[in-house]
Amino acid sequence: MSPIMRGMSCAVLLGSAVLGGCASHPNGEQALQQAGNDFQKVKEDANVLRIAPKDVIRAGESLARADRLSSYWGSGTDVVHYAYLSQRYSAIAREHTEQALNEERAAKLELERQRLQLALRENKLISVQQQGKWLEEQIASLTTTQTDRGLVMTLGDVLFDTGEAELKNSANRTVLKIVQFLQLNPKRVVRIEGYADNTGGQQENLRLSRDRAQSVADVLVDLGIDEKRIQVEGYGDQYPVEANASERGRAQNRRVEIVFSDEKGQLGAAR
Amino acid sequence: MTLRPFFAALAVVVALAGCAADPAPNEQIRLTQQALEQANAVGASADESPDLKLAEDKFAQAKADMADQSYKDARMRAEQAELDARLAEAQVLTRKSQEQLNVLNTRITRLRKQLQLGEAQ
Repeated sequence: MSPIMRGMSCAVLLGSAVLGGCASHPNGEQALQQAGNDFQKVKEDANVLRIAPKDVIRAGESLARADRLSSYWGSGTDVVHYAYLSQRYSAIAREHTEQALNEERAAKLELERQRLQLALRENKLISVQQQGKWLEEQIASLTTTQTDRGLVMTLGDVLFDTGEAELKNSANRTVLKIVQFLQLNPKRVVRIEGYADNTGGQQENLRLSRDRAQSVADVLVDLGIDEKRIQVEGYGDQYPVEANASERGRAQNRRVEIVFSDEKGQLGAAR
Repeated sequence: MTLRPFFAALAVVVALAGCAADPAPNEQIRLTQQALEQANAVGASADESPDLKLAEDKFAQAKADMADQSYKDARMRAEQAELDARLAEAQVLTRKSQEQLNVLNTRITRLRKQLQLGEAQ
């Protein structure tokens, strides 16, 4: 090979190296700028530094790398690449921080919830005892019947205001009784079924019956029963227990029934 | 021939400068695969998370680059896809922790209301 030929082949090699993978990138400067801004923000956030220090370090390292490469000629794509990685690490640091902060908040709220739950339980107990009918109610609240659906307890219409889903305080005793029963029988689960009479629209009845059942369920959950143990159904004006012809019959049909499972947690099928 | 060492040196410099062959980024591909699996495991989906979509697209491209032996492109895309997937995963976890907070707040509001009702009676 002559020296001239060798010289030419080297020039071609050099030229193609320049044109090849290493064209300079116009967006390098901008990418570096954005990554720098993002990094600055996470670096100055005390929570991020406390919770996600590793992510911040990685964001900083990638940024430094992008910055170093930007002083080399022809490394534009690498600059953009490492700036991108840096921005991603900054974003991940922020997400990790937000998540951890939420968990800290949740832990505080959970304590607050338990405190309120205890207070509510005491309140209900006091209100029951003050009325001095605890024993009497023990018997009265045993208005459960063994049906082919299992053990069923009926909460009558008097426990709700007309057309309202909120449970009245006069239901306290019954509700406490159910909570006590469920706490003594931790494997049992319940299905709470709402029923309405046939006055009013079908949709409205369905909604009201479901809302009433749900509000009973809510109170049980508030008093510490795991919501996984509670199913809620609304049946509207279906399955009346009395004819809807008389006011008395309609009042009987407006009810919430609580169906208890057996000791093993087996619940009969829903209607 | 006195020029010969000079050209040899030049060739070495050129090779070192921009265009050294990258090794196949097998380890990075594995890491990215893992990050994508993890994001899926916490319930992220490409339909809901633009970042996960980005990760999946880049990873598919990286695998195509591997097949073409464009190892540098493969590595860069896989690195980006890994972080896109990790971000998508973190976003899902943040959203879940926010939902958990909302549930707790609802319950506390309900408890407070009940306590007030009790006192009013």
